[in-house]
Parts: sequence; structure tokens; C-alpha cells
Amino acid sequence: MNIQVEALTHIFANSRVQRTALAEINFGVKSGQFVALIGPSGCGKSTLLRLAGDLLHPTRGTITLDGRKPPEMRAAHEIAWMAQSPALLPWLDARQNVALAQRFMPVNRHPRLTVDQVLERVGLSDAAGAFPFTLSGGMQQRLALARLLALEASLWLMDEPFAALDEISRERLTTELLDLWQPFHPTVLWVTHNIYEALRLADRILVFSPSPGRIVGDLAIDLPRPRSEANPRFQQILAALRTALGSTANAQVAQ
Amino acid sequence: MNGKRKSGWVALTIVLIFLGGWEAAVRIFDVPVYILPSPSRTFETLAANPQMYLQASALTLGESLAGLLIGVLTGGLLAVLLTLLPGLEGGVMTLAILMKSTPLVAIAPLLTIWLGFGVVPKIVITALMTFFPVLVNVLSGLQHVEPALTDLFHSWNASRWEVFRHLRLPTALPFLFAALKISAPLALIGAVVAEWTGASGGLGRTMWLAYTNLNLPYLFAAIFILAAGGMTLFRLLGWLERKVVFWLPDSRES
Ligand SMILES: Nc1ncnc2c1ncn2[C@@H]1O[C@H](COP(=O)(O)OP(=O)(O)OP(=O)(O)O)[C@@H](O)[C@H]1O
Ligand SMILES: [Mg+2]
Repeated sequence: MNIQVEALTHIFANSRVQRTALAEINFGVKSGQFVALIGPSGCGKSTLLRLAGDLLHPTRGTITLDGRKPPEMRAAHEIAWMAQSPALLPWLDARQNVALAQRFMPVNRHPRLTVDQVLERVGLSDAAGAFPFTLSGGMQQRLALARLLALEASLWLMDEPFAALDEISRERLTTELLDLWQPFHPTVLWVTHNIYEALRLADRILVFSPSPGRIVGDLAIDLPRPRSEANPRFQQILAALRTALGSTANAQVAQ
Repeated sequence: MNGKRKSGWVALTIVLIFLGGWEAAVRIFDVPVYILPSPSRTFETLAANPQMYLQASALTLGESLAGLLIGVLTGGLLAVLLTLLPGLEGGVMTLAILMKSTPLVAIAPLLTIWLGFGVVPKIVITALMTFFPVLVNVLSGLQHVEPALTDLFHSWNASRWEVFRHLRLPTALPFLFAALKISAPLALIGAVVAEWTGASGGLGRTMWLAYTNLNLPYLFAAIFILAAGGMTLFRLLGWLERKVVFWLPDSRES
């Protein structure tokens, strides 16, 4: 799914204060690209994702997804959403949790993958009948990933999906995510605070300034996966990323 | 499991110590029976009149359960209605609180005047008493859904009804059980209070007769039945709760 973002501004306003979360953002994403969004806390990354997923309406500007508006794409079940909390339904077992997501698909769209196939892909075949409270944090997030996969959407919006996990699970799941992403190749917007994760996963990194969020860096990562830190090109991009992030840090001090 | 069994024994021990202390105090200080009968005397009274107490208890229990059922259904359905039509919430809740603040002891005799000495006014009082906790709890349960889950259902393009059916309703179940555990003992009290103001049978009637005749062992026997009944209802609901809302931390089998 192509994404075109034009002059996107979002202002949170209540009776007392107005807060500009995003200020005049412009960027485009080609279909199938894996884009990491990185930037200081509070710069509007989650807001951008919520706007793209039609969980919020923009104050000004537009987001266009394959020529259509987010509400249409959401209604067409082309957008899958995943955040930091696994957001599983505790009264449903693993299989039922995945099946519930598929249940809302339009009747004319037949899922290519069955629930059991999806569970197998994330390595949860043995836990198909288990309830979420019996699963570890890593397994719960894996189940959330299975549910994301089951939707067969062409846009994945992922807001720090593994941020709450320990380092080891996180490492494993990011690797697995790549394996899951490659065959379907949806467009991905991935929010992260981890620069190595961004460099390992993404085709491209968008760097945000501190609040109000603007894009201050746009780096292409033209390296085959799996990527090695030993690669000189990797180090080059890492340095460029550090510079872009450094400029945001300076901006923060200047504020 | 082990912990639960243990806490059951602890509770039983406490009750036995309490009854033992009471028995001892009555004997040592030679308290006259028209002031405070001993537990043993109370149990003797119970054992001597099984037929009468059984009939009275059955009637009171029947009224309580009927009232509870009506109270739970109306409270629960109203909570559902207020969730689906949130514009009504302010008005209906004001009315409900007004109703709740009216002392039922004052309404009970009125209902007896209007509806007679039969079971109907008892069921009405019980329903009125149990309705409010159910309404308040279920309503807050239905609104208590995690934002992360509402986001998810929204991203699935789920309809209002689907969100209600697959998310709000199961989220509210633990709240319903909390309300039931408050309401069930209240239902017994409601029925007894209503019977006290005029009835042809039931434990409240037994108590009122015993009271006017200063026959305290009769009165205490009825109180014992009520206490045991309330306790049993509460425990039964707790057991059912662990089966139904098995995903809650304190329901899980270890
Ligand atoms: N519902 C809201 N109401 C008011 N202000 C909000 C709301 N949500 C976010 N904000 C504000 O908008 C700004 C951007 O928030 P957002 O959650 O998008 O940041 P973020 O980049 O995702 O931060 P983090 O990395 O900490 O998750 C912040 O200043 C935040 O305080
Ligand atoms: Mg965020």
C-alpha cells in the first residue's frame, strides 16, 4: 500500500491547553516498504500511526493510502494495528483470539491462512488451546503477532510492539517478524526507540524532531538482510542516524 | 486450592470460637433467656420446629431469589441500555440514586398497604434493593474496557454491537459477580424487612411473632438461618464466579 502524507498537522486541544503533536509533516512511502519511525518521546510518532489507522482524525492535512482515505481503508480491512500491550482477550484461548480477528473480515475475503497455519508460523502450535494468562509476555506478543498476520492487511501499523519485552525475546521476535513480513510484504510503519532495531529491520528510517514533531531525517538502508554490524555501510548509516538524532537532541536543548 | 481450603477451616474455627464464647458468657453470667439465648438453646429451638422453619425459610428464600432475579435483570438490562444510549445516563442515574436514597423501611409498609400481605410486595422490595448495586456495577463494567482493546476492535471495523457483544459484555462479567455477591445477602434482608411489616409467612413473620412475644430463642433461630443462608449464597456465587470468570487472577487454579 502506498502512503502519501501531505501537510499533516495534528493538534490535541482540550478546554485549557492546545498541544501541537505533529506540524506540517510531508512524506511518501512506496508499497511494501518497511519504514521505521524514530524520535524523542512525545514527538508524535504514535499520533502519526493513529492518524494513519483512522484511530484519530487529523486537524489539517491529508493521509492518502493507495489513493483512498484511512477510514475507507480501515473499513476495507487493509490496516492491521499492533501496539505495546498485546491486547489479547483474556476469556479466549490463543486460537479463538486469532479467529476473532478474522471474523470481522468482509465475507467476500477468504483468508489464505487458516488460524492454525498462522499459529504455526509464529511457533504457537502447541499453545493453540492456551489462555493468554498462561502464556509468558513474549508468547503473548507472539500471539498478537499471529493475529496481525491473520488479518492479511496490506498496511501494518506497529507502535513499539516489543518495547515491553526483555532483550532476548525482543531480539528473537524482531528476527521472526522479518521472516513473517517477507512473504506477504505489506507496507510497515514501525515505531521504535531502538536504533539498532531500526537498522536491522527497516528499508528506511524517518527521524522526528522533538515536539511538535517534524521530520528531520530520512535515511534509506540499502543493505540486504540479515544485516551485520560489521558491514562498513551499516556503520555509515548508523553514523548518519546518530547525527540526525543528535540534531534533535540539540534542538531539545535549544528549546 | 490448598489456600482456599485452609481459609475455609480458618473461617469455621472463628465461627466456632465465637459461638463457644457466646455460650460460655451466657452460662457464666447466667443471662436470662429473654435477653440473650445461648447458641445451644437456639439450636434446640431450631431442631424442635423443623417443619415450621423449613416452610418459613423456603418462602423467604423464594421471595428473595425472585426479587433478586428481577433486580438483576432490570439493573443489568438498564446498564446495557445506558451503554448503548449514553445520552440517557445522567437522567436515569439521578433517578436511580434518588430511589436508592429513599429508605426502604419507609416504603415497605406502603407496599404492603398497596399490594397486600402476599409475596408480591416482598419481591418488589427485594428487587428494589438489589437493582441498584447491579445497575452501578454492570454499568461501570461495560464502560471499563481497555483503550488498547477498543483501538483494536475499531481497527477491525467492528460495529457497536460487535464491540458490545465481544468486548464490553465479557469485560462486565466480573463486575456482575461483584454486584451479585453484594446483592444476594441484601435480597434476604429485603425479603425479611418486607415480611416484618406484614406477612402471612416467612422468616420475617416468624421473627416478628417471636419478637412481639419476647420469645428470643425463636427469634435467634431465624437469625441463624438468615446468617447461614446469606453465607451459603455468597459462597455459591464465589464458586460460580471462579468457574465463569476463570481468567481473573484470583479465579485461576494454581
Ligand atoms: N489524547 C491526547 N490528548 C492530549 N495530548 C495528547 C494526546 N495524545 C498525545 N498527546 C500529546 O501529543 C504529543 C505526541 O504524543 P505521542 O503519543 O504521539 O508521542 P510519541 O512520539 O508516541 O511518544 P513516545 O515515544 O513516548 O511514545 C505529546 O506531547 C503528547 O503529550
Ligand atoms: Mg508512542
